[in-house]
Amino acid sequence: MSDEATASPITGVFTLNPRMIEVRDFSFWYGAKQAIFNVAMNIPERKVTAFIGPSGCGKSTLLRNLNRMNDLIDGVRHEGDILLDGQSLYDPSVEVISLRKRVGMVFQKSNPFPKSIYENVVFSLRVAGRNKRSELDEVVETSLRHVALWDEVKDRLHESAYGLSGGQMQRLCIARAIANRPQILLMDEPCSALDPIATLKIEELMSQLKEEYTIVIVTHNMQQARRIADDTAYFLLGKLIEHAPTSDIFTNPQRIETERYISGQMG
Amino acid sequence: MMNPADQSPRSPRPVPERFLASKATLRLDALMTWLIRIGGVSIIIMVLGIFVFVLSQILPLFKGAHIEPQTETAVVANAAQVKAFGVDESSRLPFVYEGGDELRFIDLAQNGKIISEKLTLPVGARITAQDYHAGNHRMAFGTSTGQVGLIDISYASEGTGAEARIRGSAKTSASIPIGQEGAPVEMIGYGDSGSGKLFAAVQNQSGTWKLVVFPLVQKNSLLGAGKIEKGDETDLTALIKGKPVKLLVPQTADSVLVADESGTVSYFFLNDGHFEKRQEFRPFSDTASPAVASMDFVFGDVSIVFTNPAGETRMFSLFIPQGTDKRIYGQTRTFSNLPAGATFFAASERNKSFLIGSGTRASLLHATTESTRWEQTLAFEPAAAAVDGKFNHIVFLGKDGKIRVLGLNDPHPEAGWKAFFGKVWYEGANQPKYEWQSTGGSDEFEPKLSLVPLIFGTIKGTLWAMVMAVPIALLAAVYAGQFLRPEVKRVVKPVMEIMASLPSVVLGFLAALWLAPILETRVVSFFLVCLGVPVLAMLVGVAWSRMPVLTRARIKPGREWLALLPLMFLAGFVLWKIGPLVESLVCVVKDPATGKVTADFRLWWPKVTGCSFDQRNSLVVGLMMGFAVIPVIFTIAEDAISNVPNSIIAASHALGASRWQTVQRVVLPVAAAGIFSALMIGLGRAVGETMIVVMATGNTPIMEWNLFNGMRTLAANIAVELPEAPVHSTHYRTLFLGALVLFVLTFVLNTAAELLRQRLREKYKIV
Ligand SMILES: Nc1ncnc2c1ncn2[C@@H]1O[C@H](COP(=O)(O)OP(=O)(O)OP(=O)(O)O)[C@@H](O)[C@H]1O
Ligand SMILES: [Mg+2]
Repeated sequence: MSDEATASPITGVFTLNPRMIEVRDFSFWYGAKQAIFNVAMNIPERKVTAFIGPSGCGKSTLLRNLNRMNDLIDGVRHEGDILLDGQSLYDPSVEVISLRKRVGMVFQKSNPFPKSIYENVVFSLRVAGRNKRSELDEVVETSLRHVALWDEVKDRLHESAYGLSGGQMQRLCIARAIANRPQILLMDEPCSALDPIATLKIEELMSQLKEEYTIVIVTHNMQQARRIADDTAYFLLGKLIEHAPTSDIFTNPQRIETERYISGQMG
Repeated sequence: MMNPADQSPRSPRPVPERFLASKATLRLDALMTWLIRIGGVSIIIMVLGIFVFVLSQILPLFKGAHIEPQTETAVVANAAQVKAFGVDESSRLPFVYEGGDELRFIDLAQNGKIISEKLTLPVGARITAQDYHAGNHRMAFGTSTGQVGLIDISYASEGTGAEARIRGSAKTSASIPIGQEGAPVEMIGYGDSGSGKLFAAVQNQSGTWKLVVFPLVQKNSLLGAGKIEKGDETDLTALIKGKPVKLLVPQTADSVLVADESGTVSYFFLNDGHFEKRQEFRPFSDTASPAVASMDFVFGDVSIVFTNPAGETRMFSLFIPQGTDKRIYGQTRTFSNLPAGATFFAASERNKSFLIGSGTRASLLHATTESTRWEQTLAFEPAAAAVDGKFNHIVFLGKDGKIRVLGLNDPHPEAGWKAFFGKVWYEGANQPKYEWQSTGGSDEFEPKLSLVPLIFGTIKGTLWAMVMAVPIALLAAVYAGQFLRPEVKRVVKPVMEIMASLPSVVLGFLAALWLAPILETRVVSFFLVCLGVPVLAMLVGVAWSRMPVLTRARIKPGREWLALLPLMFLAGFVLWKIGPLVESLVCVVKDPATGKVTADFRLWWPKVTGCSFDQRNSLVVGLMMGFAVIPVIFTIAEDAISNVPNSIIAASHALGASRWQTVQRVVLPVAAAGIFSALMIGLGRAVGETMIVVMATGNTPIMEWNLFNGMRTLAANIAVELPEAPVHSTHYRTLFLGALVLFVLTFVLNTAAELLRQRLREKYKIV
């Protein structure tokens, strides 16, 4: 795995950027309803950052804003700014398409295309106009090996992705998201539909992936956040309550709301 | 049965009431179940009922003739010598002429009572030749003293009810001397078209035969219609090779046909008062027995049925062969063989059926369809036969002296697979073809009932409509489903649905009275707009995608149409305006009517392609029908596209696909089954569309793909013709057959489409 990591172009950067993503006083509205209130935070490069918080507090909303997936929804509006490597996501010169190539996303509910496993994995390459067979074959193998799915599906790459189990499908979606090697990977409760073993596999995967990718993960599972996240951010009712290294949040929360949440008295 | 030991040791506890379904719920459930069941079954029964009804209307078309013996009356002693035999229109009072000076009517209702009618012949004359025409009950005769005349046989009914009788009478006209005075007439033919009357006779002039033809002319005087007199005689003897054996004069009274001993038939045509020998042909020249044994007209006197001594039966019809300008006879049919040359023949006076036979063999054949309606070896040998005017009876005069009446029930002789779906060589046509022409001007009209041009027209109309509708409807559906902002979509969709509910009469009216006249003069403009606007839109798209990001960012995604629309309207307007200019440069043609050089597409198109140009053409129909079909396809396809789950669209976007790539790679495949359904429902609408086609085309049942002429579809055909088709006539039933064909067409299409749709759905199923 580490061989591949060194092969990545990103490894050419020597110092990691502690402000890979910079959220500046960001507010967000769905129509008249405000979902995010003045959030400001920095997400460091090649670390796993976990978003935690009770249901409906705006974790997914903020996550979806990091690759402008919310553009697809009507009547949304924002204030403040989000910067990626120092450049605003909302700058008119930003091509949304190339932004999304940089910032990949894994959804809460697995959503493979009704195509073969192979075609699912190479989708991002095909839309980028990369159709060379040998290249695609290689990407399929490395991506599927990354998510530890290769051995399970290598004999049926050209069968429909819908023949996979729920956990396999989610891993396929992760393989699909990393096939084109984005810089950042956003994951919205990727394990919520998985059994403990599949969850464990994905967690292992994430700790490998962070060598190469910056990962932001939304999770409801405190243990998971503890196991995999370097940093943890706690949201409540659209506001960022606390953002600190995971060990600090869980052992020494600065805010009373955080403490009550992680000790299970709320949420 | 119930063994206490089998029962569980503990009796089950009573179920608490809150777990029980309420009685009302159960009752309602049962009631609804039954209602739904009844509804379903009655729909199936109704559909089956319609199907059975349609079938019951159609099946009689495919039945043969039903013939059964009715009466048998012994009357004539010397039947083999009978010279002429005929019946009234309901076969109650046949007559027999055995030579001599009386005509005998035989009253079948009075057990064969003979009523003799005296003929008033010239003194000392004997009838030596006669030609009876069953259609007008007229017998031309020639005498041993070289005269010719006419006997008109008429029937009148007397009394009413059970007393009703038919009385026959024979009126002999004054005789006219012909050719050499006193020389016996050996053969006679007579035709009467009302305005023209023509005699042909073979006379034995002191041992040598002569063929003499002459018209009867009516001199008009101041006192009204004048006397009928004999016109100039023409001697055609020199133009025939052998001795005549058969002589035929059609009721058109414009020609004479003579068959000689060698089997050569000469066709003389009366052209401007002069006879010209137009054709000489040998119907059986290619066979072992080339002589002509019989030669008779089929109803309408355009086709002649020949037999040779070997019994081969062929039909020749008058038509203008390709590349010539004269109507001559050519073989159009071959019927199955008789045992020998025909000894009796009777043509129907209702349709193109005829009874022909030889010896004891009798067949009822139909000329148009070349089919045998009925065939039998009789127990007796007919000397003569007749078919009555109502086509209800066949009457045989047997050589045994008995008259046998057979009931004839053949309501649809002109129907059959071949007539409906095969190429038929109709009378007057120079080759077999598919043709629909169900009604004609005269009684002799031969109905042409091929459904092929109508099926063709249906496909043509549907195809042009789909060509117009599918690209627009599908692109619109994709645009509305994936690109357009929802605020706009909320307006567009209901508007489209209103469009779908526009009555097609209104559309047809618009097409015929508004669109057709505009398009007629603006074809070039129309095509310029059709080509120009999409090309422009694409060019703008390409240019747009090349623009820097900052420029593009000015227009929000989903609002591009605001910028594009005025541009497209402008382009459409300009192209429409410069159409005439282009036309004046390209479509330069010499006007055949005035000889002047003009620029007119309407003249240019026929000149260049050889196809015609009609005002009400397929383009108009295609456009209007397309307009009717667009909303149907759009609405359903848009639904299918909108129903593609957001999750996979989001996945596609998240992987860096553009909107178009998402549509192309994810949305369209997933929505394929629904889009396919949309197309099929649109197709179904176009196939069955009636009013637009009826109103916007000339309804000519032609078979050409030409965009600039019309067509006749199955549906339009039914709408136009059913009101005038007599109930249960062949025409009426054929229209029902057309309906069934339409039904089968849509059924096959829909079934195939459904199978394909299932496969598509299976392939792109979303779990
Ligand atoms: N498409 C939308 N339109 C309108 N309101 C929305 C939309 N999506 C989310 N919301 C609202 O915004 C708020 C934040 O939602 P969000 O999905 O970000 O919560 P979340 O923290 O991810 O919750 P969960 O843990 O349950 O996934 C909620 O109140 C939700 O109802
Ligand atoms: Mg969420």
